[in-house]
Amino acid sequence: MSRVEPSHKVAKVLERLPQHLTRQIVGSLVACVHCGLCTDACHYVLTNPDDPTYAPAYKADRIRRIFKRHHDWAGRVLPWWVGAAAIRTDEELEELKDIAFGKCTNCRRCTINCPMGVDFGTVNRMVRGLLVSVGVMPEGVAVVSKDQWEIGNQMGVLKEDYLETLEWLSDELEEEFGDPAARIPVDKPDCNIVYTINPREVKYDPRTISDAARIFYAAGESWTMPSEGWDMTNFGLFSGDDALGGVVAHRVYEQVRALRGRKLVMSECGHGYRSTRCEGPNWAGEDIEFDMESSVITMLRYLREGRIKVDPSKNASSYTFHDSCNNARSCGLYEEPRELLQAVAGDVREMYPNRAENYCCTGGGGAMSMSEYAPRRLKSAKVKADQLTATGAKFVVTSCHNCVDGLTDLIKHYKLDMKVTELVNLVAQALVMPKRPA
Amino acid sequence: MTSLLHLAEHRVQVVALAFMAVVYLLRVVWLFRFPRARDRQPPTGRPRTNAAKGAWYSMAAIGMPWSMETTRTRPGLYAQFVAFHLAVAANIVLSFVIPYAPGLLQSLALTRLLQVVIGAGFVVGVIRMVRRVRDPVVRRISTPDDIFSLGLLTVWFLAGVAAAPNSVAGGELHLVVYFLLTAFFLIYVPFSKISHYLYYPFTRYWLGRTLGYRGVFPIEHVGGSTTDRLGTPSPRAIAADLAQGPS
Repeated sequence: MSRVEPSHKVAKVLERLPQHLTRQIVGSLVACVHCGLCTDACHYVLTNPDDPTYAPAYKADRIRRIFKRHHDWAGRVLPWWVGAAAIRTDEELEELKDIAFGKCTNCRRCTINCPMGVDFGTVNRMVRGLLVSVGVMPEGVAVVSKDQWEIGNQMGVLKEDYLETLEWLSDELEEEFGDPAARIPVDKPDCNIVYTINPREVKYDPRTISDAARIFYAAGESWTMPSEGWDMTNFGLFSGDDALGGVVAHRVYEQVRALRGRKLVMSECGHGYRSTRCEGPNWAGEDIEFDMESSVITMLRYLREGRIKVDPSKNASSYTFHDSCNNARSCGLYEEPRELLQAVAGDVREMYPNRAENYCCTGGGGAMSMSEYAPRRLKSAKVKADQLTATGAKFVVTSCHNCVDGLTDLIKHYKLDMKVTELVNLVAQALVMPKRPA
Repeated sequence: MTSLLHLAEHRVQVVALAFMAVVYLLRVVWLFRFPRARDRQPPTGRPRTNAAKGAWYSMAAIGMPWSMETTRTRPGLYAQFVAFHLAVAANIVLSFVIPYAPGLLQSLALTRLLQVVIGAGFVVGVIRMVRRVRDPVVRRISTPDDIFSLGLLTVWFLAGVAAAPNSVAGGELHLVVYFLLTAFFLIYVPFSKISHYLYYPFTRYWLGRTLGYRGVFPIEHVGGSTTDRLGTPSPRAIAADLAQGPS
C-alpha cells in the first residue's frame, strides 16, 4: 500500500512549524507528564465532564503528537510508543481547528495550574497561527482579520464614521459642560496622553468614549485621540498571526510618535491591553520609548493625585468585579481595578476564585467572533454564571470589552438578574465635576 | 558475591549512568538550540514582583501545594506526588549505597526507613496505575510510554524494597534484578516521559520569569479557592444542571 503524502496545506503547516518553535514552546511540548491535573482548571472540562477531548492535556496532545513525530527523537523512532503521529489530510487540520478555536479560549488557566509549567495557552495560539497561515480558521476570524489588515480596525469602522462619532460626542459634551474646551481633541500634537480605544466603543458603546472624555476633562488632562491607528485591539493575539499582530501594534505606536504623545493610554480592553502593552513590541520587533498604560491606571492615578473627585453614593447598587484573563492572568492587572472600584462604588463583593485564578467569561480568545462555537461557549459559561450568581450583585464590572460581550451573553442565556458595566462608566457616573471659572 | 551481581552493581550501573548523562546533555543542547522568546516591553503589574521573584516562585511551586488550585484542592494527589518522588530519590540513593557504602545498611533503622519510603512509592505507583486506567481523561491521554514508565517504576520500587537489606542469605537474584532494573531505568528514562524532571527547571523558570515580569507571579489568593468559598458544584452537578437547561 502506498504511503499517503501530506496535503498541500499540511505540508505548509509542517514547513512553517519550526519558525514558531521557541525554547519556551518546545519546553511546553516536551514536558507534559499526562498527570491530568490541568483538567479541572478548564471551564470547558467542568461543563463537559464526560468528554475527555476537552481536557487541556488531550487538546495539547493533538498538537504535541505532530511536534513529536517531526522534531523529537523518541517520536521519530517509536512514534506509537510516545503518542507521536504524522498528520496528512485537510480533515486533520479541521480537527485541529476545532480544538484550537472551538475548545479553548486561550485563557491560560490551565497554564498557571500545570505543575510542570506547560503553557498550553501559548501553544494553542501557535497552532492557531499555523492554521490561519493556510486559511484554516473560523469564518469570523477570517472576516475580522481581514478588516484589521485592510481597514485598520477589527470592526471595519470607516475613518469617516469614527470621526463623525467623535464629533457628535464632542457636541454633546460641549453642550453638557457649556464649555467649548470639553470636546474630544483629535490629532492634537504634544499631548500628555494619546488615547486609543476598542472599535466596539465606536460601533456599539460610544458612551464609554464620552465617559472617558468626561474624566479627562475633569482631570484637566492634555489628551488627544488619533484619527488613524486608534484601534488598540489586536486580532493577531487571537488568530495567532504574529505578522498581523506586529502591523496592528505598529500602527498604534506610529501614531503616538507622529503626534509626539508622551504616553499611550488604552481604554478598558483585556486583549487590547495585553496586545499593545505586552505582546505588541515583540510582534512588531520594536523597543517602545514612550509609556503605555491601561486607562484603569490612569483613572486611579487621577483619584490618588486628587485630580478628580468622586462620590461613590452615585453608584448605589451592588457590584462584583470580573477579571479579564488577559489583564489578570497575562499582565498582572488586577489590584488597580479593585482599588478604583472600591473608590467609586459602595457595595463591592468579591467573586471566587478571582484575580489570576478567575474563570474566563468564555468570550475570550476571539470566541465572540466564532458563532459556530456559540453553543459550546454558552454551555461552558455555566461556571461563570455560578460565580456571578453566588455574589448576589446586581452589576458585574469588568475592564474588557470582550468580557462585556461574553458576560452579557451568558447573563441573557442563564437569565441572571445582573447587568454588565465597565469601570469608566462607574467613574464617570461618580464624578463630582469641579467648578470651572466662567 | 557472584560475578553477575558484581557486574550488575558496578560496571553496568556506571555504563548506564554515563549513557544517561550523555543523552541528557544532548537533550539540553537540543532544547537550547531553539531560539528564546524575548520580552521587549517594560514590566507590567505590581511593582513588588519581578522576573526573578516570579522565576523563584514558579520553581518553588513544587513545594508549595497551596500555590496552585490543582494541588490546593486535591491534597491527596499532592501527597501521592510527594510519596512517589521521595521513593524515586530513595531508590536512587539505595542504588549507590549498596555498592559503595554498604556499611550504612547495617543500621536496621535506615534499612527500614528506606523500605518504608520506597514501599510507599510502590503503593502510590499501584494507585496511579489504577487512576491511569480508570480515569477517562487520564486514560485517554495516556501513551504506551506513560503506562510502561509507571509500571517500570512501580516494579523497580518493589525490587528496591527487597534489595534494601542488601542480604544474600536467601540468594542474590533480588539484588541482580534490582540492579538490572536500575540500569534499564537509567538507560530508558532519557527517551521517556520520566525525563520530565530534566525539563522541569527550564519550563518552570521560563514561565515564572515571564509571569513575574508581567506581575502575575507570585499569585495572590484572596479569600480562598472556588471550592472554599463559592462552593462551585462538582463537574457532575454542573452537567446535571445543564441537562435541565438554563435556569
